[in-house]
Amino acid sequence: MTSLDGMASHSELQDAELPSAALLDQLWKGKAALHRRHANLPLREKIRLVIELQRIVLPLIARQRALRSWERPWDIEP
Amino acid sequence: MAFADALRALNTMKAERVVEEYAITGAMALVFWTEPVPTFDMDVLVLLPTPPGSLVSLEGIYRWAESRGYAVQDEHILIEGLPTQLVPSPNALSREAIAAAVEVEYQGVLVRVAPPEYLIALYLQPQAKTAKRRERATMLLDLPNLNRGLVDDILRRHGLSF
Repeated sequence: MTSLDGMASHSELQDAELPSAALLDQLWKGKAALHRRHANLPLREKIRLVIELQRIVLPLIARQRALRSWERPWDIEP
Repeated sequence: MAFADALRALNTMKAERVVEEYAITGAMALVFWTEPVPTFDMDVLVLLPTPPGSLVSLEGIYRWAESRGYAVQDEHILIEGLPTQLVPSPNALSREAIAAAVEVEYQGVLVRVAPPEYLIALYLQPQAKTAKRRERATMLLDLPNLNRGLVDDILRRHGLSF
């Protein structure tokens, strides 16, 4: 049964098919492989990613608290 | 301005005897050893050329920064556009971490970075032990070439644990 707001009911969620152990294992392995790939990137590429991450997380931090004077994306070449 | 320029400036600071020795630590050091994490500054542990018995002062560092036109923003110095926090070594563990720093090459610049075994210990110090830092210490534990025996030895000698 679907609730009034269109979301699945509690019993529907309980009845839904669970992901298999093999699928979960595959997902975890894929995640670990991604972390390993990032860790093995050339240093310059890692610094480029740090600057990219700064642009992504800054608005999220700004929503939670006042930014500090030095918290801004680096205006430098990696 | 380029990241390598900021690293070069650290070496200049040492060559000009503003600091005796240094090691990059914190999240930026983590990036050297494992995957990129978001960070907005570079933490650098420094040994200052302070005569025994005298008080540690950052005066020399600020004078050097001013002479090179680097702005000071709160507790950071903007070295070649990079907010850098220069922290005088506060204890035996950080002195060891500086001494054990590994030279890593970045775009032709050799820069000293605290080894992962010491980063783990630095993250686990009571004054630094936040959930985020404990998570970062755990990230380093997964490094394939980590010397786990050395980690255990450092933690034991400095009375630290996870």
